[in-house]
Amino acid sequence: MNDNDDSFDELMRRALRDEAGRVEPSDALPEIRARAHAQRRPASRRPWLLTAGVAALGTAAAIGAFAVFTGGDNTANDGDAVAGPGTTTSAASEVPPSQTPSKATPSPVPSQGPTMAPTVKATQPTDRGAPEQSVPSAVVPVYWLGANVGGAQTKKEVRLYRTWTKVSGKPAVEALRVMTQKRPGDPDYYSAWSGAQVNSVTRADDLVTVDFKQLPQTRLDSDVANVAAQQLVYTIQGAMKDAGGTRVQVTEQGHTGSKLFGQVDTSQPLDRAQAADVQAFIWVTAPDDDAVVSSPLKVTGVASVFEAQLNWRIVSEKTRAVLAKGTANTSEAYKFAPFAFSVTKLPPGTYTLEVFEASAVDGSMTSTDSKLLTVK
Amino acid sequence: MVYEECVTDESSWDADEALTAVYTAHYTSLVRLGSLLLRDTGTAEEIVQDAFVAMHGRWHRLRDPHKALAYLRTAVVNRCRSRQRHLVVVDKHTPRTLPDEPSAEQAVLRTAETDRVIEAMRTLPEKQRTVMVLRYYGDLSEAEIADTMGISRGSVKSHAARATKSLRQVLEQSV
Repeated sequence: MNDNDDSFDELMRRALRDEAGRVEPSDALPEIRARAHAQRRPASRRPWLLTAGVAALGTAAAIGAFAVFTGGDNTANDGDAVAGPGTTTSAASEVPPSQTPSKATPSPVPSQGPTMAPTVKATQPTDRGAPEQSVPSAVVPVYWLGANVGGAQTKKEVRLYRTWTKVSGKPAVEALRVMTQKRPGDPDYYSAWSGAQVNSVTRADDLVTVDFKQLPQTRLDSDVANVAAQQLVYTIQGAMKDAGGTRVQVTEQGHTGSKLFGQVDTSQPLDRAQAADVQAFIWVTAPDDDAVVSSPLKVTGVASVFEAQLNWRIVSEKTRAVLAKGTANTSEAYKFAPFAFSVTKLPPGTYTLEVFEASAVDGSMTSTDSKLLTVK
Repeated sequence: MVYEECVTDESSWDADEALTAVYTAHYTSLVRLGSLLLRDTGTAEEIVQDAFVAMHGRWHRLRDPHKALAYLRTAVVNRCRSRQRHLVVVDKHTPRTLPDEPSAEQAVLRTAETDRVIEAMRTLPEKQRTVMVLRYYGDLSEAEIADTMGISRGSVKSHAARATKSLRQVLEQSV
C-alpha cells in the first residue's frame, strides 16, 4: 500500500470501475417507457405546472423579475412583464398608432434581420395596416390551454396558461408560430391552434389582423372554443405588449367570417376576455421549478382566490409525507394579486411545493401549482 | 427566426426522445453507481428504473439532458441511501462473482485488489461510502457531490477525508 495520494486515488478509481464493470444490466427501456406512460401524473399531485416555471428554464435571466409584482393587479398584462430588464424588445406597439392604412407600410423584414429600420414598400394590402417591425430579440408570452382541475367542477373547463419564449423577428408572428407549431413546455398544456398556418399579422390603430393560410380544423365545445379564441388574443396582445387595447380580427386567406373551431364567429374582431374568466388562478413565480433553495424557503406568486386565501404544503419526494403546510393570503380577494410566504425548518431534501385553493365546496385541492425543490 | 429552445436539438426533445437518449447514454452507468452504493444489482436496477420513470414525467421541467442526468443521479443516490438506511446492517448480498472473464494473471490480481477495496468500503459509514463512490466512480466534483447528496461542500470534504483515512488504514492492514 502506497501512501502516495495519487496511487490511492488511482487504486480507488480502478477498483470501483472494476467492481462496477461486473454489473451488466439488461435492457429496461421498454419497461421504463411502458411505466412512464402508464403513470401520467395523478391530478392531485400536479394538475398543471404554472407557466412561469416553465419559462424560467430558458429565459429567466432575460425576463428578470416578473413585472407583475410591480405593475398593477392584472397579471395578464404582458406588456409590462415583457418590458422587464434584459429584453431588447422594440415592439410593434411602437409603430405610431396614427399610421393609417393608406400610408406606405413597412414591408415584411426577413425575420432574422435585426434591422430596426423598415424599408418602405407600398404593395401591402392597404386595409390591414402595418406589419410588425422585426427585433433582434424579444421575450414573448405564449398562451396555452390546460384543463382546470377542481373539486366542484362537473364539466371540463379549460384555462389559459402562459409560457415565455425568446424569439427574434416579428414578436407576434413568432409567438404565433410557437403557438401553432411548437409543443408547449408542459405536457398538460396544449394548443387549440396546433397545425394552423399563419400568413401575416398586421396592425392598424387598435385592430390587429391575423391572417391564416389555414385555420385550425378542430371543432370544440363552445366554452372551450371561446377560451381557445382567447389563446390567440392573449398571445397576440402579449407579443404586442398591449393588454386589452387591441381587438383581433381573424381572417383566412384574407377572408373573414369563418367559424373558429366550429363555434366562434370571426366576422367581427375578437375582444380580450377578462383575465378572471380565462386565466389560471394560481401562479407560483418563485422559486423556480427544480430550484435548489436554502431554508427558510420564500415563496411568491400571484393568485386570484376566494377570500384571498390559499393553501400550501410541502411533500417529500421520497416518502410522499406532508412535511409542512399552511395558508397564505393574497393582498386582495377575487382578483389577481400577489402573495408571499416562508417555510422554515425544512431539512435538506427534495420536495414538491404545492400551492392550491381548498375548494369551498368539499375542501379538495383546486387550481394547484407545484414546484419541485431541493433544499440544501 | 431563432428560438431559444432551438439552440440545441436536445431541448426540443419530447419526453420520449429524451428518455431514449438519456437512457442509452446513462442507464448502465447509473445502475452500476446504484450497485456500488447498494451492493445489490437487482435493487439498483429497480431504483434506476424508477428514477427514469420520474424523469420522463418531469422532462418538461428539465428540458436539458444535463439537468436530466443530474436529476437522475440525485434520485438514484437518494433512493439508494434511504434504502441502505432501512436495510438492516447485515449485508445479505454477497459480492457477485465474476462473470466469464479472461483469467489472465493481471485480471486475477486486479480482482483481488478490487475485492480488498470493496471490502474496505463496507466498513465505512454510509455517507462516507457514498462520497467515495461519487468521487471515484462518478468522477464528480466536490460541488456536484454536495448537490447530489444535499449536503454542504464542507461536509463532502470532511467525509472524504475521514473515509480516505480509514480506508488507508484498513487497506494497509489487509495487505
